[in-house]
Amino acid sequence: MAEYKLLFEHSHDPNFRTLAGYQGTGGFEALKKALGMERQAIIDEIKASGLRGRGGAGFPTWIKWNGIPKEKTAPHHYILCNADEGEPGTFKDKQLLETTPFLLIEGMTIAGFATKADVGYVYIRGEFIDAAKALRSAIDEAYAAGLLGKNILGSGFDFDLHIHLGAGSYECGEESALMSSLMGERGMPRLKFPHAPLPTIAGLFDFPTVINNVETYCCAPFILNKGGNWYATLGASTKNSRGTKIFSVSGHVNKPGNFEVEFGTPLRDLLEMAGGVKGGKLKACVPGGSSVPIITAADVDKAIIGYEEMAEVKSMVGSGASMFLNEHTCIVSFIWRTAMFYAMESCGKCTPCREGTKWMLQIMERIVQGNGQKGDMDLLLDITKQLDGRSFCGLGDAAAWPVAAALRVFPEEFEYYIEHGKSMVQTAESKNLMPVEHQLALR
Amino acid sequence: MAALESQEMVTITVNDVDLQVPKGELIVESVKRLGLEIPIFCYHPRMKPVGMCRMCLVEVGFKQQDGTVRKMPKPQAGCTLPADNNMVIYTDSEMVHRDRKGVLEFLLINHPLDCPICDRGGECPLQNNTLFYGPSTSRFTEVKRHALKAFPLSKYVTLDLERCIQCGRCVRFTEEISGDSQLAFRFRGASMQPSTFQMHEFESKFSGNVIEICPVGALTSSRYRFRARPWDLATRPAICTNCSNGCNIWFDYRAGKMVRINGRTNEAVNEEWTCDRGKFGHDWYNSERRLKQPMLRKGDKMVPVSWAEAYEAILQACPPSAGKMGGLVAGTVSNEGLYLFQKMLREVFGSNHVDYRWTRNRLSSSHPLSVGANPSNKLTPIAAYELFDSALIFATALADEQPMIYLRLRKGWSSKGTKVVVFADRPVEEKGFAALTVHYRPGSEDHVAEGLLKAGLAAGKVMVPGEVREKIEALSFDRIASFCDVTEGQFRQAVDLLSGTGVVVSSQSLLDLPEGVKTLEILADFSNGLGFDFNCYALGANDEGAARLGVLPDRLPNGRPLAEPGLDTAGILDAAARARISALWVVEGDPISRYHEKGDVVLALENVDFLIYQGTLANETANYASVILPMEAPAEQEGTYTNVEGRVQRMIQVVQEPGDAKQAWRIFGEILLRSGHSKPYFSASEVMEEIAQVVPSFGEVTYDRLEGEGLHLPLATSTDVLSEVN
Repeated sequence: MAEYKLLFEHSHDPNFRTLAGYQGTGGFEALKKALGMERQAIIDEIKASGLRGRGGAGFPTWIKWNGIPKEKTAPHHYILCNADEGEPGTFKDKQLLETTPFLLIEGMTIAGFATKADVGYVYIRGEFIDAAKALRSAIDEAYAAGLLGKNILGSGFDFDLHIHLGAGSYECGEESALMSSLMGERGMPRLKFPHAPLPTIAGLFDFPTVINNVETYCCAPFILNKGGNWYATLGASTKNSRGTKIFSVSGHVNKPGNFEVEFGTPLRDLLEMAGGVKGGKLKACVPGGSSVPIITAADVDKAIIGYEEMAEVKSMVGSGASMFLNEHTCIVSFIWRTAMFYAMESCGKCTPCREGTKWMLQIMERIVQGNGQKGDMDLLLDITKQLDGRSFCGLGDAAAWPVAAALRVFPEEFEYYIEHGKSMVQTAESKNLMPVEHQLALR
Repeated sequence: MAALESQEMVTITVNDVDLQVPKGELIVESVKRLGLEIPIFCYHPRMKPVGMCRMCLVEVGFKQQDGTVRKMPKPQAGCTLPADNNMVIYTDSEMVHRDRKGVLEFLLINHPLDCPICDRGGECPLQNNTLFYGPSTSRFTEVKRHALKAFPLSKYVTLDLERCIQCGRCVRFTEEISGDSQLAFRFRGASMQPSTFQMHEFESKFSGNVIEICPVGALTSSRYRFRARPWDLATRPAICTNCSNGCNIWFDYRAGKMVRINGRTNEAVNEEWTCDRGKFGHDWYNSERRLKQPMLRKGDKMVPVSWAEAYEAILQACPPSAGKMGGLVAGTVSNEGLYLFQKMLREVFGSNHVDYRWTRNRLSSSHPLSVGANPSNKLTPIAAYELFDSALIFATALADEQPMIYLRLRKGWSSKGTKVVVFADRPVEEKGFAALTVHYRPGSEDHVAEGLLKAGLAAGKVMVPGEVREKIEALSFDRIASFCDVTEGQFRQAVDLLSGTGVVVSSQSLLDLPEGVKTLEILADFSNGLGFDFNCYALGANDEGAARLGVLPDRLPNGRPLAEPGLDTAGILDAAARARISALWVVEGDPISRYHEKGDVVLALENVDFLIYQGTLANETANYASVILPMEAPAEQEGTYTNVEGRVQRMIQVVQEPGDAKQAWRIFGEILLRSGHSKPYFSASEVMEEIAQVVPSFGEVTYDRLEGEGLHLPLATSTDVLSEVN
């Protein structure tokens, strides 16, 4: 199957980044339509579309929107956009923010209208200066045109949109940590249901809050324009995944970049869109961001893009960051680098994640330095078991899965490295594949 | 602090046993009803649960319609999980045991395991949990984390970061309980560590509590470090006498010496907290300056003598029934000692010159605002401070003078949103949570009180008698502002905030001001006019008791006013200086450093013929003494203390007195006996029996009834007595 450009239809058109250009292609029609609709009808439309959260967890979007109290008793309802895109390998939100900022504004405003929200925040990863600038100018234009602010399009609906730049913590992409950070607190996750009320009841500043990914909000205008039922025809071949998904393809491919595909597309096709593997044969793929389990080349051939379909090859769609690795990649070094990321990004709140990620890194480091010991594999696997599901938030799980999966899928590489003190794939290419600073670290 | 939203009961199942618990109760608390324990580190019942340490993981399921149980895929933290209907909890399953082992292994990999030299060793939750639930060996072969060792956060608290398990209890204490937010986490992940901002000094009035709630030996007491092992310590319950709150403490001692003080739970008084003054302010028990032997002046020298010689000397030098003896006592003496002191002065020496008050101004005992005297002066219980809608804190540094009331008030603010209005002449801790803080010009308290009353009248919120109203309405806000720098707007804002149920808090230290009495009276009018409780709290550990027991020149223990009152503190000092009285008996404390007019005291001490100094420590006053009588410190004696809210609490003898020191009541009892005025008292409880018969408000008190939280005295009954007398 080929690319299906819905969100990205005009992303290469610089005019699309201006209000005039955006409206020229039918922009803000969906908002006008929405403002004339019953609030519940909007949510029903989203329900019919089968839209699921694009940030990684795949939670049905309409349930979040529907969970906001219908009668507004709190002083504020909030719409939050999670643009703290930090998952290694993911760069789709960056492109969406930079090239289609009005799509996000329109989507968030629709969500705001449907949930009686009056304030929206876009929490953008601190490094995304260009994206924040693009969104800033788009918001300014929208305000000037009366598409944001008081009495939008004469409907009596008020909605303010603010930008907040994060300070560089991966953990702040976790929705409750994002709220803590936005509230000026330390970026640590908060208690979740059933330990605390859902964010739709007590979220940001303890007021009802909807929080979604950039890509999720960007889908809303299309659903409103063309109808939820039309949207649900996209990806109809899958069990329960509808619409399109943007994949950030990176690694050993000839043409890395963002590719928007319909759900139900084989993973293999995605690889072809990216120009196929470079520098050798395909060895493995991390299909949905660094935290999802790694799969073999054989599984890549079998895998179909879809939330449930991906589980059949014991992996996940995640945030849609597919990293393809060629045969010269040392999986042990790859996992070492992944473990390093999670050890550095653990917020420190809970014991398993704080201590477990560091310990795993220490063991992986020892192994790649040639000092692996017999029993290290069992120990690593045990640590992942003590970590997975025991941590406070999903970061602990995300740190455990790649290690556990690599031990399961490529045990022979670990065994070889531990026994011989060097990688199984010792080629000139494999050495070149490693960034210089990592080569230095290994000396 | 389980947030109980309702008292609706729900049924949960714990390890196959059905249990009725209030909806929303935390599971970690619910299982205690079955005598089970879920191990914890970060959870503390008085602070918001956070679920950080993951030690309390339990398996959770929900009973389905068909009776089967659907388990949640992940284990859940018991410390944050609120009980709900059909919840099924497993605290003893294989998975739970494995998870506990896992968490403990994680906690221990970077812990130095220096238990043999750690202060906490022997009373350490990490040790205990490891023993019960942890792995027996470690699989960790990497290099442990190295961090700050023995870093002095303040002169009281020393931080050992390597031992820290990042549970956040200390951080949350300073944020939620003491409110000074001195500690926070810095860095993240495995490097995360509690710290003060930029490592500056840990400045808190309540810092000692973090040492006690630390579940490892990371936060240690600078005073106690390496001084003892817990199993070498003996401990007994005691009452802190460093201020009038009467906090319950554990008095840890070793070989008869005080080693450390820990908080003891009393929900009515201090919950489980201590202030730093209480926790670290007992070192003087071991002081070199402790008096150990009666001394008698012979010529220029003080000579050690026996008690019999000392008593003889006193009775010879001070003719009985001559009314030539003055008695000054400090409020750190027990009820029994205070009672017998005034009895001895009155019966043996025929003198009513007795006083316990050291402030510049003193109210007559019939004055409605004198401590412990009058029903209109209602004493608000400490625990009630959680419940008020609003509170006015007037001219008192609450965190210093009434630390437990401060903590309760802050708790009320954080849980119920109490609106706190503070009028102070200096920076105060309450500023952090007060709805309004007003700083006035020091010394202008009376004008501030007038301004408040005027604003109250203007707002129509305060009702006062006509003549007061006229006097206040004659003043202008501009004129008041010219004295105290407080504007009309500030007064009006303060009055606006004071509504609903409320309390006005001030302290006896107001009486140290020249216009103290006037200030208090206006303030009382304002408070009564608002319908608030008015409290002018005592400062000494037993001032409240002294007032009720009649250690006053103008009132007897039974509440009867004296037609011809004796001299009060100022009068006694003046009479001594002019040699109108020939002897002075000073009990405890150092009047020279304590009285506002040092010269008056020195003059009195120099000119009085015979000075008896009875105390625990040698000090400047003792240098003037003709006789020095060594007295036992509070925790070395049997006795009772009456705290600021009128609660009588019992002190048992924890450690032995140094040398020949005697208990205060015994000294006075022996003088009474020697001069033939009384039967012998064999124990402190016999004295209390007499007090119960004589003093109306103590009628209920017996030692048996002082177990637990102590006995809250009925409100002072002087008017009842007065009406009987009249």
